[in-house]
Amino acid sequence: MRQVDPWRPSRRDILKLGMAAGVAGLAGCSAVPAKPDQNAPQLRGGSYSHGSTGGGLKDTLEPYFPVTNPDIARCLQLYEPLLRWNAEYKIEPSVAESVMPNRDNTQWLVRLRDGVEFHHGKTLTPADVMFSLAKVTDPKKPGSGGTELAKFLDLKNSKIVNQNTIVLQLSAPYAVLDQLLAEYTVGILPTDFDVSHPVGTGPFTYQRFVPGQLSQFNRFDNYWDGPAFLDELIIYDFADDAAKVNALLAGQVQSIDNLPSYVVNTIDQQGASPLISDTGAWVPFTMRVDVAPFSDVRVRQALRLIVDRQQMIDQALNGFGILGNDLYSPFDPVFASDLPQRVQDIDQAKSLLAQAGQSDLDVELVTSTAVGAGAVESANLFVQQAKLAGVNVRLNKADPNVFYGDRYLSWDFAQDFWNTRNYLPQVAASSVKGATYNETHFEDPKFTALIDLAKREPDANKRKELLHAAQVIEFNTGGFIVWGFKRQLDAYSNLVQGLQPHRYLPCSNFGFKRASFVAPPT
Amino acid sequence: MTDLAPAATETVAPAIPAPRGSAGSAWLKWLARRIGLAILTLWLCSVLVFFATAALGDPVRAILGKDYASSPERAAALAAALHLDQPVIVRYFAWLGGLLTGNLGTSIANGLPVGELVGPRIVNSAVLVLSAAIVMIPLAFGIAMISAHYRGDRPDDVIQVVMITLAGLPEFVVGILLVALFSTTVFHVLPAVTIAGGGAPPWSNPASMILPVATLVIAVTPYVSRIVRSSLLEVLDSDYVELARLKGVPERVVMRKHALLNAIVPGIQVIALQLAWLAGGVVIVEYLFFYPGIGALLVDSVRNSDFPMVQVLAMVIAAVYVGVNLIADILSILFTPRARTAISS
Repeated sequence: MRQVDPWRPSRRDILKLGMAAGVAGLAGCSAVPAKPDQNAPQLRGGSYSHGSTGGGLKDTLEPYFPVTNPDIARCLQLYEPLLRWNAEYKIEPSVAESVMPNRDNTQWLVRLRDGVEFHHGKTLTPADVMFSLAKVTDPKKPGSGGTELAKFLDLKNSKIVNQNTIVLQLSAPYAVLDQLLAEYTVGILPTDFDVSHPVGTGPFTYQRFVPGQLSQFNRFDNYWDGPAFLDELIIYDFADDAAKVNALLAGQVQSIDNLPSYVVNTIDQQGASPLISDTGAWVPFTMRVDVAPFSDVRVRQALRLIVDRQQMIDQALNGFGILGNDLYSPFDPVFASDLPQRVQDIDQAKSLLAQAGQSDLDVELVTSTAVGAGAVESANLFVQQAKLAGVNVRLNKADPNVFYGDRYLSWDFAQDFWNTRNYLPQVAASSVKGATYNETHFEDPKFTALIDLAKREPDANKRKELLHAAQVIEFNTGGFIVWGFKRQLDAYSNLVQGLQPHRYLPCSNFGFKRASFVAPPT
Repeated sequence: MTDLAPAATETVAPAIPAPRGSAGSAWLKWLARRIGLAILTLWLCSVLVFFATAALGDPVRAILGKDYASSPERAAALAAALHLDQPVIVRYFAWLGGLLTGNLGTSIANGLPVGELVGPRIVNSAVLVLSAAIVMIPLAFGIAMISAHYRGDRPDDVIQVVMITLAGLPEFVVGILLVALFSTTVFHVLPAVTIAGGGAPPWSNPASMILPVATLVIAVTPYVSRIVRSSLLEVLDSDYVELARLKGVPERVVMRKHALLNAIVPGIQVIALQLAWLAGGVVIVEYLFFYPGIGALLVDSVRNSDFPMVQVLAMVIAAVYVGVNLIADILSILFTPRARTAISS
C-alpha cells in the first residue's frame, strides 16, 4: 500500500488557499490569539458571525423544507423538535419531557415540558404539537422529516389528554418513533405560525433574512434551556471555500462549517482551531443485487474484499474517517460491532470471482462530483484496487444532472451519500422493498421479516438480537460497500469558546447557543 | 481575461460619411444611427437569450430534476407559472414586453420578484466596477507614460516585465495572494471578505472594498497600460511630434499635449471592453471576496435552472457591453479630429 501523508496538501490546494502554507513562516510578525480555555467561565454578549457553506437563492426559512446547508443551520436556531440528539447521538428530551411507547409500540405518550415559550410570547400547548405534526405529515406536501412519519402516524385517533400530555396513535407498530421525533425537520411551531415572521421555541429569534446572503437572529431571553450567551447571531452563506476560510482567519466570522481538510493544519497556526467530530455519514458503493453480475452474491463479496478501506480513508478523506465494515449506523446501540472487520483480501476475492465464473470481470462504476467530498476520489481508488484482482472497472464520471437524473436509483454500480442515521430509519430509507432510496434494490424476505419483527418488539434487548441477525444478512449478502464514515471538519476562531464536537450536524449541531466570546486578556 | 485587447487598436469607430448639413444635425443623425444599432443588437441578444434558455428542452424537467417523476402537481404548477401552454412566440413577446415595462417576473427558486433580487446586485457590481475604473484609468495611463518616456531603458524594461507577469496571473491568484498578504497570513490589516454588519451594502465598510478593487485593478491595468504605451510610442515616432520637438517644445508638454491625446483612443476602446468584462465576468473574484455582485448571482441562477433570473441577468450584462461600447465609440470620435470632421462635414 502506498503510504500517503494525509496532511500534505497537493500543489493545487496550496494555490487555492493563498499559498498560506508557504508564507506561514512570515506569520511570526503578527500575533495570533492562543487557543481558548474551554473551561473558562463564559461571558455574555457580543455579535457572532458564522460562515455557512453553500446556500443560494433557494434558501428558505420554511421549517419543514430546509434545502441548503444554511437552511439547516437556521432551523436549529429557530425551531425545536420534541426530542433532540445530543453530542453522542443519543436522544435527549427537548420541549417534551418524555416520549414513551406502550407495550406493542402502537401508542406513544408525549409529556410536554412546562412553561416553554414561543418567541412571540405564547406558551407551548398540545394543540401546537398536533398542529405541527399535521403540518409536517400533510399528505399534499409532506416535509422532509414527515414522509416516514406519515406512513404510520394516525393523527385522527391521537388525543390531547390534558394541558401537557398527548397520546399519539400509530396505525402500525414502530419501535423508534422517538428517533423520528428528534429530527430537526420536525420542529414544533405555534398554531399561528407564519413563515414571513417565523417563530419557534429555539434559542434565537428571527430578525432578517436575505436568500443567498445572510440571516440574522437575536438571543431569545426566555429560552427554556437557559438563554444563549451571544446577543446577536448572523449566519452568512459562503459559496467559496477560500472566502470562507479567509473570513475566519481575518476575524470576520467566528466559526465556519465544512472546513476543507487540506487546511486543518494551516489554520491551527493562524488563530483558529479545527473542530473535528466523528459522524455516521458514509459514501458507499452501491451494487444492484438484482442485476448481473452483481446478482451473484460471490461477485458482491469479492468486490467488498477488493477494497483497501484504510487507503480510501487516507486518500479520499485526507485521513479524516473511521473504518467501515459494509454496515451502516455505527452510533446505534444495535450496531453489530462484533462482526469481524473486513479487510482487503485479493486472493479470496479472486477465488470467489473464479467460482462465479467472472475471473475477467469488467464493470462500469458511475460516480459524480455531486455525490460529495470523497466520492470521485474513492471511485478512482477502487479502479486501482480492483486491478489487483484482475477486475476491470470503467469509471463513468457523470454530470450532476445525469447522475441524479432518470437513472438515479437504477444505476447498476454507483455511489451515493448518506448522513448519520440510526439503523431502523436507515433501513426504511434504503434497504427494504418500497424504500425511497433503495439504490441496491435489496429486498431479502428474511431480512424484511426481521425488520418487521423488530419494529413491533418492545423489549430493547430482543430488538437488538433481531437487528443483529438482520445486519449479519447485510454483512454477508448486502449490496453496499461501506468503506468508511466521514469525520466532520469545522473550525472556530480562538476568540470564541463553547463549540464541542457533535456526532450529528456540523459545527456542534449548529449549537451557537453554547458559544461565547472569550474574556478579553487582563 | 478577454482576448480582445489586440483587436482594440483597430476598433476606432468608422467615420460615416454624411450628406452636407449643419454639424449639429449630422452629429444627431450619427448618434441616432449608433443608438439604433445598439438597440438592434440588444434585441438580437434578447432573442438569443430567450430561446436559448426557455425554448430548448423542457424547462420544467430541468428545474425539477429527479423530483420531476415523483411530483406531477409541482410540474403542472411550474408549467402554468411559466405559461408553457402558450406558443413560444407568444411567450417571447410577453417576456419582452415585461422586460421593457419593468415587469421582470418572479424567481423560480424563491418566488421573489426578479427586480428585487437583481436590483441591489446591479448597484453592487456597478460600485465595484466604477471604483476599479477610477483607480485603474489614471494608473494605467501614468504607467504607460512613464514606460513610453523611458522606452527601451531600464525603467521601461522593469515595468514591462512586471506588467506581463501580472497580466499572466489569473485574477483569483492575485486576490488570494493579496488576502494572504494583508488579511490572514502575514499582516492582519484589511478585511478578507466584504462583510458589512447585518447585510448593509458592501461599500458601507470601505476598508473591505480595498482588496477586491485592488484585485480588479491589478487584473486590468496591465492590458490597458500596454495598449496605451504602444500607441504612445507610435505617436512619439510620428512626424508632427518630431516637429514639435524640433520647435523646442519641452518633452513633458510633447508627451501630455501632443502624444497622449492622440494615443487615448485605443485606450478608451480597451478600457471599455475591460469594464464590460468586469461587470459580469468576475465571478471568481466575487466568490473569493464574498462580494454580492451579478456574476455570482448568475451562476447561482443557472445552477437552480432559474430561467427568469438567468434571462434578466444575461440581458443586463448584454446591455452593459452594448452601452459601454457605445460610449467608447462616441468618446473615440470626439478624441479623433479626423473622424469628428468627417461626420460634421
